Amino acid sequence: MKRRARFLICIFALGGAGLALRLPRLELRPMHVDEAVHADKFHTLWQAGRYVYDLNEYHGPTLYYFTLPAIWLTGVADYAHLTAAHLRIVAVVFGTCLILLLVLLADGLGRWEALWAGGLAAVSPALTYYSRYYIQESLLVFFTCLMIGAGWRYLRTRRAGWAFLAGMAVGFMHATKETCIIAIGSALLALAITAFWYRRRAPAPVASRRYLASRALLAAAIGAGIVSVPLFSGFFVNWAGPVDSIRAFATYFQRAADHGVHQHPWHYYLHLLTYWRAGAGPIWSEGLIVGLALLGLVAALRGRIFGKSVWLLRFIAIYVILITVVYSLIPYKTPWCMLSALHGMTLLAGTGAVALVRMVRSRAAQAIIAAGLIGGAGQLAWQARRANSFKYCASERNPYVYAQTLHSVVDLADWLRQIAALHPAGRDMVIKVMVENCWPLPWYLRDFGRVGYWEGVPQSPEAEAVIASSRYQAELERRLSGRYEVHNFGLRRDERLVVYIRQELWDSYLRHMQAAGQSTRKAGP
Amino acid sequence: MSKLSRLTARKALALWLLAALGLPLATGQESQSQSGKRPPESQQTEGGRSGGKLVPLDLKLPRPAFKGTPAHVPPGTNLEPPRKGPRPPLLVPPGTKNVALGRSVISSDPEPIIGSLKLITDGDKEAKEGGYVELGPGLQYVQIDLKQKYSIYAILIWHFHISARVYRDVIVQVSDDPDFIQNVQTVFNNDHDNSSGLGLGPDKEYWETYEGKLIDARGVTGRYVRLYSKGSTADDQNHYTEVEVYGLPAQ
Repeated sequence: MKRRARFLICIFALGGAGLALRLPRLELRPMHVDEAVHADKFHTLWQAGRYVYDLNEYHGPTLYYFTLPAIWLTGVADYAHLTAAHLRIVAVVFGTCLILLLVLLADGLGRWEALWAGGLAAVSPALTYYSRYYIQESLLVFFTCLMIGAGWRYLRTRRAGWAFLAGMAVGFMHATKETCIIAIGSALLALAITAFWYRRRAPAPVASRRYLASRALLAAAIGAGIVSVPLFSGFFVNWAGPVDSIRAFATYFQRAADHGVHQHPWHYYLHLLTYWRAGAGPIWSEGLIVGLALLGLVAALRGRIFGKSVWLLRFIAIYVILITVVYSLIPYKTPWCMLSALHGMTLLAGTGAVALVRMVRSRAAQAIIAAGLIGGAGQLAWQARRANSFKYCASERNPYVYAQTLHSVVDLADWLRQIAALHPAGRDMVIKVMVENCWPLPWYLRDFGRVGYWEGVPQSPEAEAVIASSRYQAELERRLSGRYEVHNFGLRRDERLVVYIRQELWDSYLRHMQAAGQSTRKAGP
Repeated sequence: MSKLSRLTARKALALWLLAALGLPLATGQESQSQSGKRPPESQQTEGGRSGGKLVPLDLKLPRPAFKGTPAHVPPGTNLEPPRKGPRPPLLVPPGTKNVALGRSVISSDPEPIIGSLKLITDGDKEAKEGGYVELGPGLQYVQIDLKQKYSIYAILIWHFHISARVYRDVIVQVSDDPDFIQNVQTVFNNDHDNSSGLGLGPDKEYWETYEGKLIDARGVTGRYVRLYSKGSTADDQNHYTEVEVYGLPAQ
């Protein structure tokens, strides 16, 4: 079998391993507030066939458009029957295909280096965890890698088709998330620095050629435009969309400097990746990837590598440094934003792993080091499984959990469905929700016909079921007329919900439960 | 307030008053939950082997970690109203002591997120990091093996009292069967709608405080004590700082 074929089989096997960690039990984790909002935005596109870009919120439309084929393929009838798994499969596909993209870079990184990088990307707990999240991040990382891969292929082959594909990747990045500007800017600056480096240190395999021909630039610009403009305009309906997509950068630059609840210190991402422990909880670390990336970085800067192109590796090294520094310096931080930098680290870590193995000459010693690294990767896979388990997927002991919805909300929705089954109007019974940040409750109550949402207590708070933040409890007691049974649920950590059920309805529910007899339910997940 | 809750509250008050006055109690109506019998309330007054003489149970409480629980409890709520003044003493036969101290504990979650199951019976009930065991989300239980059969008069539970929270579906059962299939007696159950599938519970939810939750077990006999919960209003996990079981060897 030829080397290339063997390499492709290995990459696809790693893709399979990545899929095995990303795909199982996608509904396990309760919907995060952001996921529920995106589900609602997708619902508008799906049902109304219309997309209007909002330059202040929600990011770009690619997530919603790529969800459409997933829904068509699964044959979901309506929004009420849509599940978290239907939505999250989009992120799973992009998160898995990210591993396969290494075929574009293999002749630059070296095949062993690419395989190590693919293996580490497959088992990285953070990459795995957020590849099961219905947000834009896994798409953004995929398109960023596609931009770099296609760009590299253009430099190798000088074919305009690759420049066109790289341009399309840029268009998709733009239509995915406004923070693409950080990845694009870092890549351009890294390209410029690498080019400057090689102008001073000739001869170099790539520097001897012209990097960017006008034809290639034109092809890339067409590729970007052909993707970005139709997506932002809702396929030529809303022409303000493409303009707003540029104006939005001002909004996001301002938000980046905001000192709100998402403000974290500069070392937040590095802390999450290297050593993280909440209280007396378990220890989490992707230190293996960070450590190997540092080794790869040193090897790249010194030029002592065993891959094919020092030029590419230096470009990646500078790109990773820049994107890590920029994301670290921005006060606004959410843990999924580190994915772009982390994926770059896996590329460097591939080189670091090969450098470590070849640091010794003895075959036996090399085998021992390789076995140790495989063991380390296995430990990362174990952490990834743990991060996505029922026990940890929504637990604050998990570093990747951020403002997560509690399982209690899922219980609340199931409980309301049981109660509604006893109401003459069924799921058309009136439910009033009084919660300042009510998401993801609209997702969990999407199969109820008459649900109203308020950010305070309305004029007439009475309903068959009232769901309120605990902060409104005293006011509700004063203003609610009629008798209610009151229960407590959790929404997010330390956010208590008070749920009022009209007494007659509650009494009939209790009678029903008594008649239903003993359940066989047992403890545990 | 549900009728069941009102009934239980009145019964408890009447029992306490009669016991405090040293009067013999009438045999209470035996209530039965769906998966475990309620112990007869008359057992409390038998006073074990003391011939009816009862003494207040001596409890050693940890230091409070926070001040005050949400004071407003609406009418009709499933929550215990805040108590004014100290907790009324629970009367038990003389010689009653904590028989769970140092006893072995198993759980539906054998690999806790934080801590070990030993912490539940180690005698340390202070609110502090490292002083509690954290179990996974959903309905989970811990089970204490008392090593022999006891007449149990009180069970005192501290789930987590570093911050105010309400644990959901707290169910406490006693049995002499380690699998809790036969002779299961439920001494506390605040699962009002049987959502945990262990029977409808008439008891109320309560705020966690340094005082712990004191349950009158009314002299029920058994070797094993099992305690269920299903997360809290603060998070999905289940916590135990300490569980004390007060009893005397069963005759």
